[in-house]
Amino acid sequence: MSNVQRKKRDFHRLTPGWNVAFNLIAGIFAFLCVFPFLFVVIISFTDEKTLASDGYRIIPAKWSLEAYRYVFQTGDLLLRSYGVTILVTAVGTIVSLVFISLYAYAISRKSFSYRRFFSLFAVFTMLFNGGMIPTYIVVTQLLHLKDSIWALILPLAVNAFYIMILRTFYVTSVPDAIIESGKIDGAGEFRIFVRLVLPLSLPGLATIGLFSTLGYWNDWFNALLYIDDPNKVPLQSMLMRIESSMQFLQQNSANSSLSLELLQSMPQDTARMAMVVLATVPIIFAYPFFQRYFVQGLTVGSVKE
Amino acid sequence: MSKAKKKAGFALASVTALSLVLSACGGSGNSNEAAGSGDNSDKPVNLIWYTIGTPQKDVNKVMEEVSKYTKEKINATVTMKMIDWGDYSQKMQVLVSSGEPMDIIFTSAGGFDYVQNARKGAFLQIDDLLDKYGQGIKNAIDPSFLSGSKVDGHNYGIPANKELPQQWVWRFNKNVADKYNLDTSSVRSLESLEPLLKTVKENDPTITPFVMTKDFVPYVPYDYLITNMPLAVKLDSTDYKVIDILETDEMKQALKTMHKYYTAGYIAPEAATTGSTTDLERAGKWLLDMAQTQPLADNLWSASYGYPVVSTPASDPIITNTSVQGSIMAISANSEHPEKAMEFLNLLNTDPVLRNMVDSGIEGTHYEKIGDNRMKNLPESKNYDMPSYSLGNNMILYLNENDPDDKWEQFKKFNASGIPSPILGFNFDSTKVASEMAAVQNVKEQFWSSLMTGTVDPDTYLPKAIKQFKEAGLDKVIAEAQSQLDAWVAANKK
Amino acid sequence: MFGSMLRSLNRNKILLLMVLPGALWFLCFSYLPLVGTIAAFKEYRFSRHGFLYSLIHSKNVGWDNFKFLFSTDAAWTITRNTLFYNIAFIVLGLVCSVGLAILLSELTNKKMAKVYQTGMFLPYFLSWVIVGYFAFSFLSMDRGLLNHILGYFGGGPLQWYSDPKYWPYILVFVYLWKSVGYSSVVYLASILGIDKSLYEAAMIDGASKLQQVRNITLPLLKPIVIIMTLLAVGKIFYADFGLFYQVPRDSGTLYSVTNVIDTYVYRGLKTTGEIGMSTAAGLYQSVVGFVLVIVSNFIVRKIDKDSALF
Repeated sequence: MSNVQRKKRDFHRLTPGWNVAFNLIAGIFAFLCVFPFLFVVIISFTDEKTLASDGYRIIPAKWSLEAYRYVFQTGDLLLRSYGVTILVTAVGTIVSLVFISLYAYAISRKSFSYRRFFSLFAVFTMLFNGGMIPTYIVVTQLLHLKDSIWALILPLAVNAFYIMILRTFYVTSVPDAIIESGKIDGAGEFRIFVRLVLPLSLPGLATIGLFSTLGYWNDWFNALLYIDDPNKVPLQSMLMRIESSMQFLQQNSANSSLSLELLQSMPQDTARMAMVVLATVPIIFAYPFFQRYFVQGLTVGSVKE
Repeated sequence: MSKAKKKAGFALASVTALSLVLSACGGSGNSNEAAGSGDNSDKPVNLIWYTIGTPQKDVNKVMEEVSKYTKEKINATVTMKMIDWGDYSQKMQVLVSSGEPMDIIFTSAGGFDYVQNARKGAFLQIDDLLDKYGQGIKNAIDPSFLSGSKVDGHNYGIPANKELPQQWVWRFNKNVADKYNLDTSSVRSLESLEPLLKTVKENDPTITPFVMTKDFVPYVPYDYLITNMPLAVKLDSTDYKVIDILETDEMKQALKTMHKYYTAGYIAPEAATTGSTTDLERAGKWLLDMAQTQPLADNLWSASYGYPVVSTPASDPIITNTSVQGSIMAISANSEHPEKAMEFLNLLNTDPVLRNMVDSGIEGTHYEKIGDNRMKNLPESKNYDMPSYSLGNNMILYLNENDPDDKWEQFKKFNASGIPSPILGFNFDSTKVASEMAAVQNVKEQFWSSLMTGTVDPDTYLPKAIKQFKEAGLDKVIAEAQSQLDAWVAANKK
Repeated sequence: MFGSMLRSLNRNKILLLMVLPGALWFLCFSYLPLVGTIAAFKEYRFSRHGFLYSLIHSKNVGWDNFKFLFSTDAAWTITRNTLFYNIAFIVLGLVCSVGLAILLSELTNKKMAKVYQTGMFLPYFLSWVIVGYFAFSFLSMDRGLLNHILGYFGGGPLQWYSDPKYWPYILVFVYLWKSVGYSSVVYLASILGIDKSLYEAAMIDGASKLQQVRNITLPLLKPIVIIMTLLAVGKIFYADFGLFYQVPRDSGTLYSVTNVIDTYVYRGLKTTGEIGMSTAAGLYQSVVGFVLVIVSNFIVRKIDKDSALF
């Protein structure tokens, strides 16, 4: 199988000239994207005093591990928030893939009589929202999820945007003929979905899986609203709390008693950058993980066999 | 086979569907239990106290100790919930709106705004409670605090007893000032700074002579109706006239001077967008800035920067609404136990044992006493590091190791020296002109920082700004403010 | 009548069961909270009886809460800016991310392609605050990298944060930089899902690379492109707050090109904090988006029924 694929790829290869040009374009853009992040890494390893006097430098005059020492002072709290983030991301991605793939499949089927209704039902939610307070009341007073890990998972579980993307993947990559042939073989809707449709839409599922993984990983807002227990605060939320507190202190710097007591206790630039690095590095590996499924997009012929 | 699979599939889909419904019903069993216990006088009531600050690890541990003490004194226990600085306003808005149970709420001009939320009904009006259970407070704290924090004639919270007036000072980096033999004690006005700035600029171009953030506003002898909005009343005003601050001669003069300083390079080129100057302060590369002071501030500044800082007054100490409303504890409108909450606030503001426990934690664990009213933090205090200003009467706090004996005497003297602003106690209600206010705010944000930091030339920009303010409806806002102020003067002055 | 409905429900029962979890979720997290939009017509005041009670018993103010969005010259500026930027984002975002996806899918060395893609994702992880710092380290008047470079070539230092004329380009660039890596994934996945035998057949017919892209890749991408565009049209009155607030450092002199609906609302309400007015602004943005989506969906349906959203 892999042998055959390699051969196919050779077959429609770019000419060397174009290949170099394409590599150059992609390489330059990728560099532009990576560079700021590298800079963040460098700042996190810069000596605080050097940073204050020289500003941001690509090669600082003095390196330091102090920022990481500061961040790891919190010890178990940091590890715990890693744990929370990983748990929420893993469970959340699975839950939302189940919800989304089912919903999207139903509204992708032309034979579904309520197809238009449920499509509009989903799209409408992208455009209108009731705001923070009513949502808070639903989550805390109706669902009773305050201080529960589920308050970090459920509010992000379904997303009309992802549903519409996945619906399109189903429609474009699963020919009607396959579903019909499944029906003729006597398979039920659910069996067709699991055995025929899902394998054919792996790139689509991987895309949505990737998006929701990133969505869960980066989410800090739900924790701000629903989590009081310091042991359940995810990583990004810890980072955002520090950033918004810094801004608050800056905006209220005229309040003398406040600024006097607090400016000292805020982490310094380098420590914040170290937090960014710690919060980002693990998730970078999520992309290659999902990428595997992009290339595995099978051809129609190979399923039919 | 196929049928069984089909059934399994059906079941799976149903289960996922049900999971939502179930989780909806799951927790509902235990919510009604706590409600009925309010009036039973034997059972201690539990007070829920929301306050600002980075959540501390040992809060619950300390509150257990606090509860033991308060249970004995007033038959109440205390639960404290801390919300981080930057999240406080937003989260409290949501919590209060959704009717979350709470009894005591920290509020201030900057965090969950006191006046606004008092008017919106978030806090209980406490005039009667204060008379009945708050006599201790009335004796313990400066009366200006209570009179100055009235909203539409009523009290909605207990201000923390601390520095009362606000006074601006010029702060100097003493190392730099000494190096060039600058006389820092004789300056006062904005104009008087020029020779100092010039000397430093000419001798050391790596130093920023005049440091400021984008929130800088040159001092003029007016009091603002709303912080940093152009509506203001002159401090020595007798006719209580509300005016656009940008049209006053004092402000015009100040802006001209600022622009002169900016073009001369005394001010950092990006001052109008600078949020923080801590990097300059850490590096010590600055000569002077403007700040609000309080007694012993120079010592605190010097200690926190690690080099000597000295200051010279730039204004008189003025008691304003903002200075009075810097830190207030209110009782929530939905409190189940308002009387107990008031009793607790009374105790907190008068009883040094309770107040210091809330502030510094458990004696022997977080701090130890090293004198009659003097204490020293222990290493564990890193797990209970609280902002003193937000937790009630500061003047009954134990002194720190290095504090002078007369620390609180100095505060009392400073407070006594405060001159009340003519509009102390008047709070503008902008509800009627809300849409004009939104537009005016946007114009303000557009012009304010670049004018105030001297980045732009006031000769061309000031007329533009004034015109846009008028178009946004500033005149209507001023007229509304004036009529409210006139009514207030008629009722309160004479 | 009733019988036929039951029959129809029965016929669709498996598919209905499949939408059920999602539909319940929408009901809970999206439709139930919509009660809150009533606040747009109210002067909201707290009461001790909870949100719903307070909402219903607050004073009715009709359309007053919407006034501030239209009352001054600024209304024109913010509407123009929001629309202009969003249209630019939709068009350029589409061109760049589809282009990038095609380019990446054609690279011979798949290892390198993976490295590039992973790299392009990094900006997505940096918050706007950090992006703002970073932009400042380039554009700062006295310490910025760009002014250093200009100085090297003899150009004078430019006041980037007080000259509006550069900002439309800067903002569009920063937006594309941050989002293209992310959005190209959708197109890349679609391209990789295309049946390889189509390309083989084309190649046997002697089609060039360009012809393959034009005749196979692009037509097959059409459905996803249309869906993504329709969805973006619905958000056309919303602006990314962080991009327009943090990146230009809230510099007042730039407002003519950086003030958008979201930043205007934020600045206007930051001291008064009227829930009614912010809800009204949100409702206004939603309704405009909704109307535009309905209209463009209608047009798409006329042309190609299967590509429409609903």
